[in-house]
This record gives sequence, C-alpha cells and structure tokens, in this order.
Amino acid sequence: MMRAFLIAALALVAAPLAAQDFSENSKAKSWNLYAEVPALFDAKVVDAMCEITGDCPANCGDGDRQLALLRGADNVMVMALKNNQPAFTGAVVDLLPFCGQDVTVDGLMIEDADFPVRNVYLVQRIKSGDADWAKASKFTRDWAAKNPEAKGKGPWFRRDPRIKERIEAEGYLGLGLEVDAEFIEYLFE
Amino acid sequence: MRHFFGLAAVLLLAPFSVQAAEGERITVTGEIIDTWCYYSGVMGGPDSVVGSAHHTCALWCSASGIPIGLLAEDGTVYTVLKLGAQDNATGGDTALRLASHTVTADGMAYTRDGINYIVVEKVVEDLGIVNLTHEDYDVIPSFAIPKPKK
Repeated sequence: MMRAFLIAALALVAAPLAAQDFSENSKAKSWNLYAEVPALFDAKVVDAMCEITGDCPANCGDGDRQLALLRGADNVMVMALKNNQPAFTGAVVDLLPFCGQDVTVDGLMIEDADFPVRNVYLVQRIKSGDADWAKASKFTRDWAAKNPEAKGKGPWFRRDPRIKERIEAEGYLGLGLEVDAEFIEYLFE
Repeated sequence: MRHFFGLAAVLLLAPFSVQAAEGERITVTGEIIDTWCYYSGVMGGPDSVVGSAHHTCALWCSASGIPIGLLAEDGTVYTVLKLGAQDNATGGDTALRLASHTVTADGMAYTRDGINYIVVEKVVEDLGIVNLTHEDYDVIPSFAIPKPKK
C-alpha cells in the first residue's frame, strides 16, 4: 500500500512539472519566429498584477493592466505579449472583454530554454464558450475609434499623436533632434 | 511511517507552493525595453532590439500596450507591471517617456512560471538613452525612420 501511495504521489507531482504539448489541434499560423511553438489551450483571462500581488481592480484594470492567460491544464500563467496584427500591437484590447472568463486561445508560444524565455505568447484567435472563434486583431480598430483626429493615410503608429510628440521632441533615435538630423543625413545619403 | 506520509504531503504540495509569487524588494539598474521584439527575435537578435537603434519601434510597441521590460545589467529581464506613479505599464505616458532609457528602479520583484516581474514603486534615476546601438545597427526595423521628402 505504501508503494502504491508513493507512486500516486509522485505521479501527481510529476504531472504539472512535465513539459506538455499544446500544439495538438492548433491552427496557428507561423510568423517564422526562431522559437515559436503553436499552442492551443484553455485558460482564464487574468490581470497579471492581480494574480501576482493581490492588487485587483475591477475588470482587470479596464485596459490599464497587462493581461495574462492562466492555463487550465497546469495553472501556468502565460503572458499575452502580442495580438495577431503585424503592426506592433499588444493583446490587451483583444483579451479585456474576456476578463475573468474561461476561453480557448490559439497562437504562438515563444519557448527557448537557452535564451531563456518561456510562457510568453502571441494570441491569434480566441473562443469563448459556444461562440465562434474571434481573431485577435482588434487593436487598430480600437485605436482609430479613440483617435479620430489622427485619421489619415499610413499605419496607426505613424499617426499616433503621443508617438509623434515623442519623436518631434527627441527624434527617432531618442537622442535629440541634432543627433537625429546628422544620422538621417548619413542613413539616406 | 509518519515520515513517509510527511514526505508524501510535501511532494503533493510542492507544485502549488512553487507557483506562489513571493516578492522581494530590489533596486535594479537597466534599460526599459520592448519585450515582444526582445523575446521573439522578430526584428533580429537581442542586441539589435535595444537602445537607440530600436527606440522608435519601442515607442510603437509601448504605445500599443505590449509589455515593457527592464533589462538589468546582469541580463535578467523583468516584465514591468507598474511603473512608478503610473498604475499601469500598458502604453502609459511614463512608459513612453522612458522607452529605451536606462533607469534605476526601486520596487518589488517576483518570479512566476519562468518569468520575472517588477512592480516599480519609484524610478530613482533616469540616465536617458545610453545604449547607442544605432552606431552598430542603424535602425531596427529599417523602415523606422521614413525617407525624408525632398
């Protein structure tokens, strides 16, 4: 009996620690990243700071907090760094409507034991309950709605008022306009 | 027998106890970076996606809410969950102002599931941008600076 109990205990311990494969059934599209691993899993959308510190405002901070995915299979907290748009866009806008909810996500995990990096994620699509899959691509539409004065041609990051203000004040290198001017002359000579 | 059950209890509780996030007060100096480009390699190696070469891209990513990190002098990356008086680090003005800057920060550090986090209480010192990577890499990505109109 003692042996059986010990085996059961060790099995319980080993299960969450063993590396799990979440790539099965994933339809994540490659971004040709050196350490990308397709990953589809069930998770709860959480406020990362709340999970870590216990400081928990309503609705995951209403967009002011970084959001994470508390994976159902092993309780690992996966940081959602990126949404599905190839436009320098985060994942908070896409995940916030699901704050506190259980969802299924599909995307790319970045895993490299040597770097090291693990448990950071690019969300490509989200599914809640019986609803259809939704693409994690809401940032630019949300940005446009919040910045009607910045309407125009070109990608959002060329038109964003706060980004433009920083570049106009400190240049593209952030080192001041004089350094910037010299560098731009060299770059495009 | 009692020792056996004690050991079993410890083993059973182990996976849960390692996930508890216990904070440690630290003062750390490092660069405010863009975590996605740094971790993913989407723009190139880690040395190219920091400092002045990557400043404009760091602004773009920070403004969109991609988490910022603090790359410490020993190579440790802390994902920043709070940045001083600013309650959030998702595209806030402080995060934008400090993009690519080397700072000394005082706060609580945590580790969970292989990721280091910091809740910065105070930016003690802001050294500005001191990592002049544009001297080696020009700009990353190459289109960060638009060609001047004639």
